[in-house]
Amino acid sequence: MAGTITVRFYALLRRRLRTPALEVEADALTVRELLLLAEKKAGQPFLDELLDAGTGLLEGTMILVNGENIRLKQKLETQVGAGDTVDLFSPAGGG
Amino acid sequence: MNGWMGKIVRIDLSSGQQEDIPISPETLRRWLGGRGLGVKLYSDMCPAALDPFAAANPLIFMTGPLTGTVMTSGRYQIVSRSPLTGTICDSSSGGSFGAVLKAAGLDGLVITGRADRPVYLSVHDGAVEVRDASALWGLDTQQTQGAIMGSKNLKAVAASGNRATVIADPEAYKAMAARLDRAVDKNPVTGKSLQVLGTSVLVNIINAHGMFPTRNFRAGVFNDAEGISGEKIAESLLQRQSACYKCPIGCGRTTRTRGRNGEGPEYESVWAFGAQLGISDLAAIAEANYACNELGLDTITMGSTIGCAMELHECGALGEKLDWGDAGSLAGWVADTAHRRGFGAELALGSKRLAARFGRPELAMQVKGMEIPAYDPRGAQGMALSYATSSRGGCHMRAYMIMPEVLGNPVFLDRFATAGKPEIVALFQDIAAVVDSGVLCRFLQFAMGLSTFSEMLRTVTGLDFSEEELLAVGRRIYTQERLFNNRAGFTRADDTLPPRFFQEEFQVGSSRHRRVRLEEMLDRYYAVRGWDAQGAPLPETLAELGL
Repeated sequence: MAGTITVRFYALLRRRLRTPALEVEADALTVRELLLLAEKKAGQPFLDELLDAGTGLLEGTMILVNGENIRLKQKLETQVGAGDTVDLFSPAGGG
Repeated sequence: MNGWMGKIVRIDLSSGQQEDIPISPETLRRWLGGRGLGVKLYSDMCPAALDPFAAANPLIFMTGPLTGTVMTSGRYQIVSRSPLTGTICDSSSGGSFGAVLKAAGLDGLVITGRADRPVYLSVHDGAVEVRDASALWGLDTQQTQGAIMGSKNLKAVAASGNRATVIADPEAYKAMAARLDRAVDKNPVTGKSLQVLGTSVLVNIINAHGMFPTRNFRAGVFNDAEGISGEKIAESLLQRQSACYKCPIGCGRTTRTRGRNGEGPEYESVWAFGAQLGISDLAAIAEANYACNELGLDTITMGSTIGCAMELHECGALGEKLDWGDAGSLAGWVADTAHRRGFGAELALGSKRLAARFGRPELAMQVKGMEIPAYDPRGAQGMALSYATSSRGGCHMRAYMIMPEVLGNPVFLDRFATAGKPEIVALFQDIAAVVDSGVLCRFLQFAMGLSTFSEMLRTVTGLDFSEEELLAVGRRIYTQERLFNNRAGFTRADDTLPPRFFQEEFQVGSSRHRRVRLEEMLDRYYAVRGWDAQGAPLPETLAELGL
């Protein structure tokens, strides 16, 4: 039986999906693979809020795996596994 | 004259006399306007530090060459010596008053002296009149009011007029403005996020980074963050977004709670009356914010000072009962502070003086007397250096390192690294000084770089500013502020943070087990700035900047 990864949505992503989080059943995969599964499970597209032409991270996108930004790891190729929490923030700012 | 009005008036409230202060074209080019020219004027008038409440202490209202032109140009800056910190200080205000003051014919208004009765100043067509304000005394603030104005018996500054800023190259200006429109619209922060969610979108972001200061900076994760987040405000309190003069972003929030309408809360205010105090009651937070708006209090200083009092009470140093999470008492504390009633008279001291008075100075979360805002410096080393070296104390606006260290704009930097941070902090400080002298809103920086600013100045004033020259203007301003502060008695010892940030670590959250490593950055920062090991600008630096 596969474990679960929690994916949480923030900022404009949450406004679009109208849900704060969902669970993806998986044991080990990359963030890129996780995003595709999450989009499928959400039932509507949202990767345009995070990715540049569907391939790289948009400037300002923040994806945290257990609180750590994937830009400091292997970006979209960062490995995630069962029990991890992945936070998705579309570009945002204030001050 | 292109860009500038060519008129700065000095008025002495003691004698009623006024005169124009002549400003050479060279001075305008070297200091621009707003914060820069205000700091220059202030430093010339006060080579030695005056008591902020002395009648002679100037209070300077400044517009800039871009005021009343491009988007977000309704702002103005007020420059003086701060009674809270003792540093030279400028305060930036949005709305539309800057554009109105300039349309009334002024680049700046320098106010000295003390009126013998309550007065207000009326500015029209370049003429300044002193008028009786006894009927206004005691009314709430609408735009600006502060302790220094009170010390001068000055209740308000009113302005009206319809003088247009002369644009040097109208065709190029129009093309530049259209490009700026598109860039701001296309940028996801200025074109979408700030509009829909306001600045409080940061609550969840900063909390997820484990650096959302909670209960006087003793934790970096606030468990109730969701309940006070920008996402939550958008679906509960928000009535509509509100915008300053010519601003397509509209980050402002017009909200409604318990039958009242008001402005805010913005991110810093949500934090100051929320996580900082362990409060998750959004209505109480909004009401405290409305009260500060009406009473002319800064929400960061107010909230942080209450949080300091709560920790003082908790550790037994303060008998007065202030408890974490006590949302019901919040509005009362704010009103009592403004009127100096009861314990409010102690809160009115600000956190530094309050904590010292009760024997625990280390519990005030401040730098140079100004309360640190809503980013725990243990979560971002560049932000820590920025707070420590800010020329007006613990503020985030001198170099907003959260942009690269958390938000990834315009580049992403490792927030826990110290290498390279001194160079970037100094660069950000210089850019901020330039934008504050334009005078434009700093949020434009999410969508534009210095080259656009240079283009704005060229099309409006007709003067060619290279990016290099603009950065030299910023460096000149920052160094002049440093010179003033050094003369006022500040030294390297003041370029620091409360001991908590060097000694205590969070146990949970993604900034856990981190401390501020200021000693790895400060010497290098001084070297980058051309200052000596004590933080005093070197003679060759002064010569290079013409100071």
